Amino acid sequence: MIEFQSVSKKYSADALALSEVSLHIAKGELVYLAGPSGAGKSTLMKMVAAIERPTSGRVIVSGHDVGRLNKAGVPFLRRKLGLIFQHQRLLNDRNILANVMLPLIVAGAPKGQAAERARAALDKVGLLERVKALPMELSGGEQQRVAIARAIVNRPQIILADEPTANLDRAAADKVIDALHAFHSVGVTCVISSHDEQILDSAARVIRLEHGQLVEGGV
Amino acid sequence: MNIWFRQHRFALGAAFAQVRKTPGSFLFNVLVVAVALALPFAGVTLLDNVRPLSEQLSVDPEISLFMKSGVAREDAQALAPQLQQLLAGNHAKISFVPREQALDNLKARNGGLDDVIDTLGDNPLPDSYVMKLEGFATRSGAASSADPARIDLLAEHMRALPGVDSVQVDSAWVKRLAALLGVLRLALLLLALTLGVVVIAVVFNTVRLQVLTQKEEIAVSKLLGATDNFIHRPFYYTGALLGLCAGAVALGAVALALRPLNTAIGEFARLYASDFQLMALPPLAVAALLAISAGLGLTGAMLSVQRHLARLK
Repeated sequence: MIEFQSVSKKYSADALALSEVSLHIAKGELVYLAGPSGAGKSTLMKMVAAIERPTSGRVIVSGHDVGRLNKAGVPFLRRKLGLIFQHQRLLNDRNILANVMLPLIVAGAPKGQAAERARAALDKVGLLERVKALPMELSGGEQQRVAIARAIVNRPQIILADEPTANLDRAAADKVIDALHAFHSVGVTCVISSHDEQILDSAARVIRLEHGQLVEGGV
Repeated sequence: MNIWFRQHRFALGAAFAQVRKTPGSFLFNVLVVAVALALPFAGVTLLDNVRPLSEQLSVDPEISLFMKSGVAREDAQALAPQLQQLLAGNHAKISFVPREQALDNLKARNGGLDDVIDTLGDNPLPDSYVMKLEGFATRSGAASSADPARIDLLAEHMRALPGVDSVQVDSAWVKRLAALLGVLRLALLLLALTLGVVVIAVVFNTVRLQVLTQKEEIAVSKLLGATDNFIHRPFYYTGALLGLCAGAVALGAVALALRPLNTAIGEFARLYASDFQLMALPPLAVAALLAISAGLGLTGAMLSVQRHLARLK
């Protein structure tokens, strides 16, 4: 499903973000990415989402070679992914239903169908009764659950969650992790980056990066 | 195809939503663009009204050829085939005017001067030819710039014919009219081009501000799988909508201005026994101007989106 073959990424001559990283994540796997700030976790995730391209090596995601993907192909790869960001990146001028509908609208789904599926996604994260609320009216944990609903609404093959619990209290963080585990249990591949050692302790597989190098849990 | 239509409908809806979000700003921009469009639209309206008048004026320029007084009637009439040959291909109507008929015409036109004319004794008028150059000028407006020159050349040839005393050409006014309308058209074209650039610049800036205010939405949409076309379309529709609304306002303003203008023109025209009035543009011309306005808006939006979204990347 996701494969890195000797991948390096340099942002400038003296800024090496990833160095010769090779790893494989199988379909349906739940993997945690761990490591201190600046270790290369975000860069690795950005490459999976074709936000960044490798300087050398190959990144294969769902059969697409990210390094060779043309501009027109990028949106179609991203529609197979569910992205969850540390700072949710919800649109504050529209309610949470409209936020969750967005991935379906950009893919050309009819509005009625998009609304129906968005409601179902919000129901799965326990926020169906708040569909008309604006993001600013929700707590941090609720906003992150909206972001999860937005990530799963287009039934992605892969969920990429970049520090999804970073700004949450324990109870809210647990709810977010539980929601992600629930999607993994129905066969969705999940890649979650986290600093939270309590979460990492219970993980089946942890890929650890330090200074851009893979130190644990590769191929 | 359904998805394509749906995405266009979404883009149009997004453009209208943007207008609803900032109606004051949109209205102000419409007014600015409408002011820029109103001047060339007024010029087009004026030219459209003057064109039929100028076509009517520019037809049938005349050449009058006067024989020397001592030339015999037979010799004068013998010139007709040579004149026809000179004017071949010009749809000219050649009339021979005998000196007696010329005198009768003079008397008829100056009824009160019969006594004065009678005191002249012998008829002082010569035999003459009047040549109406029917269709000599182009019908698409005034005479083409070459036509007056050709008339002058013909007159030169006629002066060289035997027994000819003088040749009068009334093409000067054709030249003047052609030159005036040519200058007007050029001025209108330059004005339209300049103000077209102003319209594009206004829309360019409007869309630039929208791109900046929607930066986060654009970035998130791209991360969620939006194509460039999906991102660009709402801005294109906004630009076209702005141009279209401004075009409609400008046309409305020109149509409103016709009423007081026609009052003044009517009083002036009555002095010349004319009922000339400025008419509003026909529906086809209105549709064309609206399409041009929308096109200018679209062009401004496209240039802005290409430039500013590339910067966002």
